[in-house]
Amino acid sequence: MKDKYLLKKDHLLPLLRKLKKTYRLIAPVRNTHGDTLFTAIDRLDEVRIDLDKQPQNSLKQFFFPQQEVLFTYDNPAGDSYHFQPVVEESPPSLYFGVRPCDLSAVLYMDVVFLKDAKDPSYLQKRQNSILVGLNCNDPFASCFCNVTRSGPFIDFGFDLQLTDLGDRFLVEFDRSRGQEIITSWQQFFAPAGEADVKAQYQSFLEARGKFSLQVHLDQAVRKLALGEVPESVWEELSMRCQDCGGCAYICPTCTCFTIHDLQTSDHAGERLRSWDACTFSGFTRMAGGHNPVDRQMRGIEKRFRHKLQFDVKKDNRPSCVGCGRCVNICFGGTDIVRFINMTCCENS
Amino acid sequence: MPSQSKDLYLPRPAEIREVIEENSQIKTFALSFIDREYQDRFSYAPGQFLMVSVPHCGEAPISVSSTPVSGGAIHLSVRRAGRLTAAMHGMRKGDVVGLRGPYGRPFPMAELAGRDLLFVAGGIGLAPLRSVINTCLAAGHGRRITILYGSRTPSDIAFKADLTSWGETANVSCLLTVDRAEPGWQGEVGLVTALLAQCRLEPDDAKALLCGPPMMIRAVLAELAERGFADEDIITTMERHMKCGVGICRHCHMDDKLVCRDGPVFTLQELKQLKVMELLG
Ligand SMILES: Cc1cc2nc3c(=O)[nH]c(=O)nc-3n(C[C@H](O)[C@H](O)[C@H](O)COP(=O)(O)OP(=O)(O)OC[C@H]3O[C@@H](n4cnc5c(N)ncnc54)[C@H](O)[C@@H]3O)c2cc1C
Ligand code: SF4
Ligand code: SF4
Repeated sequence: MKDKYLLKKDHLLPLLRKLKKTYRLIAPVRNTHGDTLFTAIDRLDEVRIDLDKQPQNSLKQFFFPQQEVLFTYDNPAGDSYHFQPVVEESPPSLYFGVRPCDLSAVLYMDVVFLKDAKDPSYLQKRQNSILVGLNCNDPFASCFCNVTRSGPFIDFGFDLQLTDLGDRFLVEFDRSRGQEIITSWQQFFAPAGEADVKAQYQSFLEARGKFSLQVHLDQAVRKLALGEVPESVWEELSMRCQDCGGCAYICPTCTCFTIHDLQTSDHAGERLRSWDACTFSGFTRMAGGHNPVDRQMRGIEKRFRHKLQFDVKKDNRPSCVGCGRCVNICFGGTDIVRFINMTCCENS
Repeated sequence: MPSQSKDLYLPRPAEIREVIEENSQIKTFALSFIDREYQDRFSYAPGQFLMVSVPHCGEAPISVSSTPVSGGAIHLSVRRAGRLTAAMHGMRKGDVVGLRGPYGRPFPMAELAGRDLLFVAGGIGLAPLRSVINTCLAAGHGRRITILYGSRTPSDIAFKADLTSWGETANVSCLLTVDRAEPGWQGEVGLVTALLAQCRLEPDDAKALLCGPPMMIRAVLAELAERGFADEDIITTMERHMKCGVGICRHCHMDDKLVCRDGPVFTLQELKQLKVMELLG
């Protein structure tokens, strides 16, 4: 088969060991508390790469850190004020074991940070990244990428993409950098046969049938577009929201940020940017306390409309990738699945 | 002047050349970039805004209130509203702030040429319109210009020098009103909408530009609709909490639009496509 390869599972660690010489390696690692997190790996022999569980974090923090310094400034006197760019070159990094939802989320972040104005920090990190994906044979309990059309398999956007076929991975590439890796480390790869590709397709069909959540996404998208979401839905969800920001922080496609100064001495400081959440009441508050958003009744509205209405209108696809993380984190019961299904069940 | 990617968020130092006290709440700062060469290349259009940095206070979006003249001072008229603007009010000639921009979609200057123009402003709202008015006059706008300006009290009237000079211009009529009179005030008392009633307007051949508090905007919009202005001939600016100014941070959303990138200048026609608090009341 042209452009499709096999990687024996026994060869995975040796291959990663080689790649780690060139790249900073980031992969899902099971830590001592039993949590699986995307982690920058220092010593490959001392960690347990976990491809069975969904990582609790996504790749967001690696391209768009929770807090970062945009530049530093000093103002030794009123009549001087200088700004120094922060040159923090991120090393070439290889992200391994990225599931389709998280890969789709990176492609979405590319639009946010690079389409019009080009965010310098994101651009630098993204240019230095290699994405090695992993298709999902076994969707998790809160997954609904089948309806957001960002999984469980994906066929673009990665450098290399793996599909688990039991004792081996089927390997595909979508970018020249992926191809280069295969060429450079030929000893690990064998050409795939027709049977392997058939097996991959079989896995895909099976995976598609394994989703347990029923999420009426298309119906909700239609209702939003037609303005048919009952007011009571916004009201009920906004009242329940505890303003914790957890959904936005954990979400791989929530990218809103705030910018502020941190004074580090009498005459110097840093301009920082940090993750923000549109569900916070301060998000839209203006000088004098005036707020154009009725927080009590509509605090939660922007998050869902943005993902399921405005982005659909603009890019023809929702910017929720169905990873299910907010479903697991929200203790107020106002996650996106709750919203979607409420929208569709409530009579308007 | 699109920013280079690597310094998208990086301000440039600009020196305060002059501070004009417009009233107890508003000061106009005349600024120029310390980098002379950059100052000479710098250009902007009426309606655009700059992100202003003040040490330890972060940034705030402020509209340019001056007329773009090559190499000329950049005017920012700032109302004391909170932390940054208060700190700026404490600054003097020779002090330095940071500026980046200009950002945002300007007023459609080409469409204004050859039309009667109605400007309605309240308080600090005259700042961006001042840029438009002076730019039109500098370009020799020959049609009728009507300026209606509302302030809280007579001592709150800002931009007095401009108001006087506009009042003395042949094709310009400039009417003022205050919410509350003070001893010695001979002029109008009441809403700007009352001034509107006194104006001769030809809605088919005019453009109306409004800028001010939401209450005022709503009242004026209702009046203009009554007078037969078409939605596409009514232009206003929107204000939202803003952080990046370049369409990434998403603070200034209005439905699927961003005020920093798609605005801050909008026609009423455009705003009616959105759910905008200012119009809904
Ligand atoms: C496009 C645009 C043009 C503007 N032009 C002018 C002008 O010409 N003159 C003028 O006096 N004011 C103008 N404003 C309003 C001005 O930006 C706010 O008054 C200012 O940001 C308040 O900052 P502060 O730190 O003094 O107040 P605080 O209340 O202490 O502000 C805290 C933070 O909230 C944010 N914020 C608060 N209010 C606003 C607001 N209204 N708009 C955006 N962000 C806000 C800021 O990011 C600030 O860091 C404009 C606003 C926008 C959006
Ligand atoms: S949402 Fe889809 S792609 Fe993401 S982990 Fe679940 S099954 Fe995999
Ligand atoms: S909204 Fe929830 S399910 Fe959708 S991408 Fe964000 S965290 Fe995942």
